[in-house]
Amino acid sequence: MSAQLWALVAVGLIVLAAASLENLRSRRARRLAVGATAAPAQEPYILYFTGDSCTVCRTHQEPALARLGAVRIDKVDAVADRVLADRFHVYTLPTTVVMAPDGRALHVNYGYAAAPKLERQLADARGRALSAATA
Amino acid sequence: MSTPTTVVDHSALKVNQTGIVATVLVAFIGGIVFQPLLVLIPLLAIVLLLGTFAPQLALFKQIYFKVLKPRGIVQPRPVLDRPEPHNFAQGLGGVFLAIASLFLLPVPVIGLALSLLVAVLAFVNLAFGYCVGCQIFFQLERRGVLRARA
Repeated sequence: MSAQLWALVAVGLIVLAAASLENLRSRRARRLAVGATAAPAQEPYILYFTGDSCTVCRTHQEPALARLGAVRIDKVDAVADRVLADRFHVYTLPTTVVMAPDGRALHVNYGYAAAPKLERQLADARGRALSAATA
Repeated sequence: MSTPTTVVDHSALKVNQTGIVATVLVAFIGGIVFQPLLVLIPLLAIVLLLGTFAPQLALFKQIYFKVLKPRGIVQPRPVLDRPEPHNFAQGLGGVFLAIASLFLLPVPVIGLALSLLVAVLAFVNLAFGYCVGCQIFFQLERRGVLRARA
């Protein structure tokens, strides 16, 4: 019994440590990636990093992106286009980046991002673009 | 970007993950009252490693294809996907269970903890669709350790 109990404690600690490390890694990558630049556009758009080994991209992320309606989505193969993937510190798939019209990254999501979250981020990007245009 | 042209039945993957979680839990909990049940862990390691290199020997997937699917107990869920990342993840699980098996007698805590970790990761994949082995596969492919498919 005690071996099972200690194993349970060990796995609990490992999972907790892994979750904390993942959280730190994602926050650090997001801090470095926000502000990175790509091509400018007329409207806010989404850079969508994916790869053909990413199942969750096809089963979850792409249906969520399809629900966004008329938004430009630039699909990027993170394995083939390493330069762009490195610029946005893509360490996991899918990664979605909400870009301002001037080509600056405003919001970076590592891992699956649900449609409502992306809609909020796009609304924020549109609001910022509007304030910048009226300023 | 190349879109996968192969179809992977995700129900087979889910049955496989369920099999892994159930076997480890039976060994882990059953081992408290009946220690010989721990033999399920090395057996599971063999099943996973055999299934990685010879899919026709993947026990849980074969149960799905030969029993559950034909009888309509589990509905198929075909998805355009690559089988390699899933096979890699299964192989990684098999390797971890093989290492766990080596520790089961001399240091049972390490053996049990590694086995439970494999079950936790299989459960995360089963419940949330997040495949840690597939992410490792992506990282290795990105670093050129595994060759990206043309």
